[in-house]
Amino acid sequence: MIRVNGKARPWQEGMTVSDLLKTVKNAHLYAVVRINGDTVSRPHFAETRIPDEAEIYLIPMIAGG
Amino acid sequence: MTDFSFKELAVWGYDRPTVEKGYAGQTLHVDLERLQTTAQPVTGQMKEIFIGGKGFDLWLLWQAVSETTRWSDPENAICISSGPLGGTPAYPGSGKSIVTTLSPLTGAVIDSNVGGYFGPYLKFSGFDALEIRGKFNGQVVVFIDGIECQVKILEAQGLPDNAYALTQALTDHFGQGSPRGISVVSTGPGAAHTRLGCLNFSWYDPKRKRARYKQAGRGGIGTVFADKGLRAIVARWDSVSLDTNRPADKQALKKVAKLHAREIVELDPKQNEMARIGTTHLVPIMNDFDLLPTHNFRFGQDPRAGLIGKDVYRQLFDPGFDGCWMGCTVACSHGVKDFVPVTGPYAGQRVFVDGPEYETIAGCGSNLGIFDPYAILEMNFYCDAYGLDTISVGTGIAFVMECFELGLINSSHTGGLELGFGNRTNALELIHQMARGEGFGSIVGQGVRRMKKIFAERFGADEALMEDIGMEAKGLEFSEYMTKESLAQQGGYGLALKGPQHDEAWLIFLDMVHNFMPTFEQKAEALHWFPMFRTWFSLCGLCKLPWNDIVPEDNNESQDPAKVMKHVEWYAEYFSAVTGRKAGPDDLVRMSEAVYNFQRIFNLRMGYGTREHDRLPYRAVGPVTELEYESRSERYDKQLTEKYGVDISGKHTAEKIALLRKFREEQYEKLKDAVYQRRGWTADGVPTLETVKRLGIDFPEVVALLEARGVAG
Repeated sequence: MIRVNGKARPWQEGMTVSDLLKTVKNAHLYAVVRINGDTVSRPHFAETRIPDEAEIYLIPMIAGG
Repeated sequence: MTDFSFKELAVWGYDRPTVEKGYAGQTLHVDLERLQTTAQPVTGQMKEIFIGGKGFDLWLLWQAVSETTRWSDPENAICISSGPLGGTPAYPGSGKSIVTTLSPLTGAVIDSNVGGYFGPYLKFSGFDALEIRGKFNGQVVVFIDGIECQVKILEAQGLPDNAYALTQALTDHFGQGSPRGISVVSTGPGAAHTRLGCLNFSWYDPKRKRARYKQAGRGGIGTVFADKGLRAIVARWDSVSLDTNRPADKQALKKVAKLHAREIVELDPKQNEMARIGTTHLVPIMNDFDLLPTHNFRFGQDPRAGLIGKDVYRQLFDPGFDGCWMGCTVACSHGVKDFVPVTGPYAGQRVFVDGPEYETIAGCGSNLGIFDPYAILEMNFYCDAYGLDTISVGTGIAFVMECFELGLINSSHTGGLELGFGNRTNALELIHQMARGEGFGSIVGQGVRRMKKIFAERFGADEALMEDIGMEAKGLEFSEYMTKESLAQQGGYGLALKGPQHDEAWLIFLDMVHNFMPTFEQKAEALHWFPMFRTWFSLCGLCKLPWNDIVPEDNNESQDPAKVMKHVEWYAEYFSAVTGRKAGPDDLVRMSEAVYNFQRIFNLRMGYGTREHDRLPYRAVGPVTELEYESRSERYDKQLTEKYGVDISGKHTAEKIALLRKFREEQYEKLKDAVYQRRGWTADGVPTLETVKRLGIDFPEVVALLEARGVAG
């Protein structure tokens, strides 16, 4: 089980950030996610595996400046 | 501790007006030549059209100068104002001051939005804005005492040179046991010897028992300040509450302030953690997206970026409340205590460094090929202490380093300094030289535009190449984002009124990462709405970070997520609650549009403000060198073939660079056309008479100026 924005979600062995975002509405708007405190950017979504029990926040927008 | 003394040159007493609905109702004018202080009423027209903050500054500056005024002329004024919402303690980000003057870098108007307590203390002392003009032959301090209702012009002797020691000394001296009631505006010796001077605005940190600082960095305002003989402006005020602005509807203000403050407390820890790590979160993200400038904006990525990212500064920052205004829940103004510099006058001493923020990390770090967090801290510290803008210093030294590596200059020109990328010791030495006005540093301190001329004339360097790689536009050095792959952000920098600073439009992610604006029309719309809304913060005395750096969790489900309309609506409620002037989101944009166009016309008056001045160095648009092209050849080859239909088989890199350049420069010119049209400007980038009439800024002198420039009625 993982928690995404505070809500429980099932976890699967080998699950990547890209896999998770396939199940999320408006996923194209997320360029960065935080997994257990570490930020992961879109160029690394496909290769980043999510560990079981992970606490994940989908960062809605990077505004800059 | 340095012994210093003051001699009273002039004392002006006044009756302090009660602030009503966010306005004191008068402006303060200090003439350093005549040693005179006066107050002028704020008119209804000023409030209606210019709102406050930057709007008031521009209006005062417009009347102070003529079209022939240069930055160092006595009539050039430094104007400082907060705004009607400035000084509200409960609403996050509500303590900003906005500073304007004619810039020694650009010759046109520069504006800078800065934290610290000065602007609110100035207003609560009885003045919506301050205009300082004239010059004093010596060293002078202006003391605005809102408690005793006096403004004093003091001749100073023996004050410390650097801004840190100066501010602490003045805070102790004027605080009279209540240092929290003091805010100091000051600069340092670097401002006097370069064109890159910044201003330090202070607030007192009761937990750490020391003055803290934010910088009005851009465009050399500190240089104008020093040139006037000013050492400091000090404001003194008493306690602040939600009532101090006497809002029109206190209950409505409390309600909306609580909503926004609580949302930040809840969401910031889940999103960017600004209350813990400031803007350092941007370093790894920008690097991942090839947007972190490295080696004078050649590249956007470096494998060593993690060495200067948020994880390092999380460990270095001193934990605690770091709000640059009372009660701000973003509280992103972090610092490092007990840092020990290894160079310069503070070598071996423990000091407190206010910063670094993202811009300083990128400007004084990655863009110089320096990936040492301690070297960045030391540059941050000395730039602040010397009164130098870390962005212009960083971008300026980056240009020098590339020129050095390309052989355009060599150690015989630099006084023996080896200045290849990554040379942190000599980068620091340049900063010390800037402060002393000595050696090659005094040339670097002239800024990139003047360095290009000096390198060509004195050292025979290739002018055309320097035009391409010297990262300045309008005379101002670029702030620290890569723009090569975002046409909209090229516009965000190139069309910005003061020069390439990202506070007007930061569209890289929306354009390049999210692809929100694939057409010219969509980019033009973004380059209308975002600069206008961002301008509004500087009219009101606000920070823009609470608007879109921490956003509602359901924001992505809204119709226009980039605008974070829930917050825009809160800001409209906030404005209405304080001023009593009912406003909706569209009204906020209209307020800005008037001031924004007025500033464009102000530039025109000073000899700028037309299409030719919106040009960019090609480094901001595409790859200049074969090294750059070949580092991302897959990307560029694909664009040439798929986007532009070019058969690249058999073509050398130099030919492909030339082709790509032709296409990309054409795109930028088309973008200008689309944006000018959207903004109601002529093809030469000048607001039309119809536009100025619509916005209510058709003052006789504005109309005469436009007609003289051939804008038809």
